[in-house]
Amino acid sequence: MRLMLIIAIPFFGALLPMLLARAGRRACAIATGLSTLMALVLLLSHAPVISAGQAFAVSHQWVPQVGMDLALRLDGLGLLMAGLILGIGLLIVIYAYHYLGKDESLGAFFTYLLLFQGSMVGIALADNLLSLLVFWEGTSLASFLLIGFWRHLTEGRQGARMALIVTGGGGLALIAGMLLLGDIAGTMTISELTARREAIQQSSRYPLALLLIAVGCFTKSAQFPFHFWLPQAMAAPTPVSAYLHSATMVKAGVFLLARLWPVLSGTEWWFYTIASMGAVTFLLGSVVALFKDDLKALLAYSTISHLGLMTMLLGLGTEAGLIATLLHLLNHAAFKGALFLTVGIIDHETGSRDLRNLGGLWRILPITGAIALLGLAANAGLPPLGGFLSKEMMLEAVSQVSWWGQPHLLTAIAAIAGTFAVAYSARFFAGAFLGEPGADLETAHGPSWGLVGPAALLVVSALAFGVFAQPLAEPILQTAVRGAMGNGDAPTIHLKLWHGVNLPLILSGVAILGGGILAGTFDGWRSLLKRRLAIEGQRVFRACEWQLVSVSRHVTERFHGGSLANYLTWFLVGVLALGGLSVWPSGLRSGDRQLLPINVLALLLITCLAAACLMTILLHRRRLLSVLMANVVGLITSIGFIYFSAPDLALTQISVEVVTLILILLALYFLPKETVAEASPIQRWRDAALAGLCGAAMFALTWVVLSSDGPTDLANYLIEQSKPAGGGSNVVNVILVDFRGFDTFNEIMVLAISALIIYALLDGAMHGAAADKLDHWEHDIPRSPEKHPAMFISFTRALLPLALLVGVYMFLRGHNQPGGGFVAGLVVTIALIVQYMVSGYQWAAERISIDYHSWIGWGILLAAGTGVASMILGYPFLTNAHEHFDLPYLGSLDISSALVFDLGVLMTVVGAVMLALANLSRLGRRAERAAQKAAEAAKLLDRGE
Amino acid sequence: MTPWVEFVVAALIVIGTVFALVGSIGLVKLPDVMTRLHSPTKATTLGVGALLVASIISFYHWKGKLAINELLITLFLFLTAPVAAQFLARAYLHLHCDSAGDLPATNRPCQWSTFQCACPPDAEDGSAAKP
Amino acid sequence: MIAIVIPIGFAGLSLALLLNMIRLVRGPTAVDRILAADTMVINTIALIILYGISQKTTAYFESALLFAMFGFTSTVAYCRFLIRGDIIE
Repeated sequence: MRLMLIIAIPFFGALLPMLLARAGRRACAIATGLSTLMALVLLLSHAPVISAGQAFAVSHQWVPQVGMDLALRLDGLGLLMAGLILGIGLLIVIYAYHYLGKDESLGAFFTYLLLFQGSMVGIALADNLLSLLVFWEGTSLASFLLIGFWRHLTEGRQGARMALIVTGGGGLALIAGMLLLGDIAGTMTISELTARREAIQQSSRYPLALLLIAVGCFTKSAQFPFHFWLPQAMAAPTPVSAYLHSATMVKAGVFLLARLWPVLSGTEWWFYTIASMGAVTFLLGSVVALFKDDLKALLAYSTISHLGLMTMLLGLGTEAGLIATLLHLLNHAAFKGALFLTVGIIDHETGSRDLRNLGGLWRILPITGAIALLGLAANAGLPPLGGFLSKEMMLEAVSQVSWWGQPHLLTAIAAIAGTFAVAYSARFFAGAFLGEPGADLETAHGPSWGLVGPAALLVVSALAFGVFAQPLAEPILQTAVRGAMGNGDAPTIHLKLWHGVNLPLILSGVAILGGGILAGTFDGWRSLLKRRLAIEGQRVFRACEWQLVSVSRHVTERFHGGSLANYLTWFLVGVLALGGLSVWPSGLRSGDRQLLPINVLALLLITCLAAACLMTILLHRRRLLSVLMANVVGLITSIGFIYFSAPDLALTQISVEVVTLILILLALYFLPKETVAEASPIQRWRDAALAGLCGAAMFALTWVVLSSDGPTDLANYLIEQSKPAGGGSNVVNVILVDFRGFDTFNEIMVLAISALIIYALLDGAMHGAAADKLDHWEHDIPRSPEKHPAMFISFTRALLPLALLVGVYMFLRGHNQPGGGFVAGLVVTIALIVQYMVSGYQWAAERISIDYHSWIGWGILLAAGTGVASMILGYPFLTNAHEHFDLPYLGSLDISSALVFDLGVLMTVVGAVMLALANLSRLGRRAERAAQKAAEAAKLLDRGE
Repeated sequence: MTPWVEFVVAALIVIGTVFALVGSIGLVKLPDVMTRLHSPTKATTLGVGALLVASIISFYHWKGKLAINELLITLFLFLTAPVAAQFLARAYLHLHCDSAGDLPATNRPCQWSTFQCACPPDAEDGSAAKP
Repeated sequence: MIAIVIPIGFAGLSLALLLNMIRLVRGPTAVDRILAADTMVINTIALIILYGISQKTTAYFESALLFAMFGFTSTVAYCRFLIRGDIIE
């Protein structure tokens, strides 16, 4: 249970910052910090047991049919990762509170941060492959929201999009890989996979699964060739870069590889795929980092390089590699996080991140300089810091492995990369802190403790992991390794600073020397090589993206060029072709059900219907009249429904007719009232033939369906069970809210989302080019100056209470008689809209105090609440209970809990439709205001003459 | 159902039908829009009213309950039909202003309120009564 | 007696509906057509009530009520569009 809480606390805590945003920034930050702290404390409370070698596990069924359980397992590796996430998260919360300006939306930021935290802890603790995937995608999404936080910056939006596309694409590959792995192994639980290791590695699909999983991990951890999104993601605010893109999210790929290490590693496939890519990335990252002037880009490439280091170590497949990886995971998080935070401090205080313009910051930011010095020393692998220890272990592990017969290749790569690491670290420090003050130092001042504190804490831990390696780092590492190896018998680890003069030490020494020389002579090198390094991953990505977009646009314009007739032609031809293809072999045969006799009324209705449809076509160029004809078609359809004993359908049909009519008229005001004749006779004959063919096909299909005996068991079941199981005698309504309640729930969510989209789009129409058009709008029909006819007003005022009464009546009796929440909602909507029509928007808006947005929200919450309430009581979602009451005066009542669900439906419908309609009228009012202003201006001009 | 009541109900149904039919015949046969407005709005409404009364009586006899719904429909129809007719007439006069010149002149900017179309474009709601 | 009268009623109302359709198809002005549509709604209400009497059920009367309300609303919306253009001001 406590494991569930560790994940649940950040997710539920994510609701707090948005709600507390009104209470102030401090309240937001405290709420976020407290959530993280609580989760961290819960996590650490498990630490003693886990260091003794045990693990906690808990599991709930989620979707048992596909084998997805919400299974959580806390072992050493998970403890390490989750501890990093939550611990660094806490520091980042403090840092972000001081870093973000007063006018930035702190509530939204912390919400996204907590969402990310919850998903990331989910990855760390997940024991089921499929639930891990859910959390994986959650981190991608949260990362997108956080990178694009400064959405006024173009690079922010582009970086967020690129990150989402790349990590999302990798996520797709990962889904495929995980499903394959689960299929090969026969189980989706990660802890059980280790036992089937032999079977998995012998399977013929093992390479494919491995490659797909590797692609997923490489995209997330920015390995070559998917590394280009990480420098673009540096457009995020620095706390985000420090948290996501150095300490935690990018480590998710490495973490997953470490998790699957006992299952998948040891084969040649594993070694050559993962170690090679890791090595290439390691080298590439550190070489490119040297050439970057933007401090954050430098650190980004440095992160890429270190991630490559960890991937390479995991790829080696040896125990030494695994241990080195985990130690470096810990150390890197500490020093890289500290370095990013110092870059943030530099940026915050001086306003610049460019190495060419900075310099001499040692005088103004001494403490920051000290932190940076220690962090960069750890990055370069200098003793006695933790970075030195992990670098030594890395060199040791690498020197024992030979790549395709070359025993020293990997060692050489590591050494060269290490040299460059020293070089760029030295360049960073020298360029920013030493030397003469640069050009951008006008606004430099000392940073607050909230900014420096977290960075100092991180770098002190990086130092402590090196100097006090045995008491501090060793137990953590031991626990982690024991968890990662899975089967409990892990080697004991001894961390020592001094192993004697051996190969790693010599290589380190060479690296330090070489790096120093490189950094010193850097400017000379740079001008020589500037022209050569032109290929950048992000340019290739952009080129591919552009190509894809232009091909899609070409195809879309060919088939969908804006002419509705064109689009429909293609669509109908396609449907006819596919339908014909599927029916051709066997042909359609008419069934042998007894047909009803035609009576005169039905014949008449059909005649009227045909006449109205024909008129729609004949009058199609005069838009108002064709709308009228369409309405008449709807009316006759409603009569048809009543004739076939479907009063609910008739009610719904007529209500929706009127709402649609009002919508169309609101829009028609701005559209031309006549369609231009643009089709040639040939085109018209072609369209007529196509329409006739489609009509004939539909007729044939309908005839076959209606004349055959359909599956009647379902229909009989529904009719029989409607009263006993559903609690209502109106089968249609019981189906809507009970038998198929989940469907209705989805429908009202779609309705709500559509209304909100309409609102957002119309909001956008109030600015920009559309607003310009509205401001210069001229009416194309003669208008009467009388806006609100008095007779109309006085009558409809009396109508309102009647209509509302009818609405409530239909709602309450919907379960047993024709009616229901949806129809009642539409009746209430129309009643309110008529008031808007009659007395004007201003008058009505002042008096109707319904907030449509909150009605939409409450409606959905009520509907969901009904479902969840039944879940709490142990039944499946949306199970309804019904009771029979005998009241003294009102008689006997049959009430079902579906009434609350229906109320939710009603509120959503009222809110959504009213929102859409009331906001559509904004366009008209805007045009009106502009016309009035123009008229007044013209009058003033006349008087002034 | 007693013969008396049956007779009344049947008579009402016939009356209702006849009036509705007359209203629709008038809609087709009368020469001009303004004349055509009279027949359906008056006759058909009356016809439907008669039918509703028939249904109230018959259901009172069959089920023993006085149905308020139908009274509501009747009330509603009797209230809305005139308003709809007035609005339609106004719309027609707005769109076809030909006979506006036949009326004597007034000293107001908007002339006769029947023909709103004859107003100058920037006149305010001077001639309409405030709600 | 009712059993004789009801078919007569249906026939008469159906004929009325047909005549409305004729006006809908023919009517030279827009107002004609709107009037025809409105009358069709009222005739439909009559039909529904007659149907309810013939089937001896009260299940259809709410439909009739809603038809009345919504028919009126749509007529008014059309007219307001013709007169003023902007139906919600």
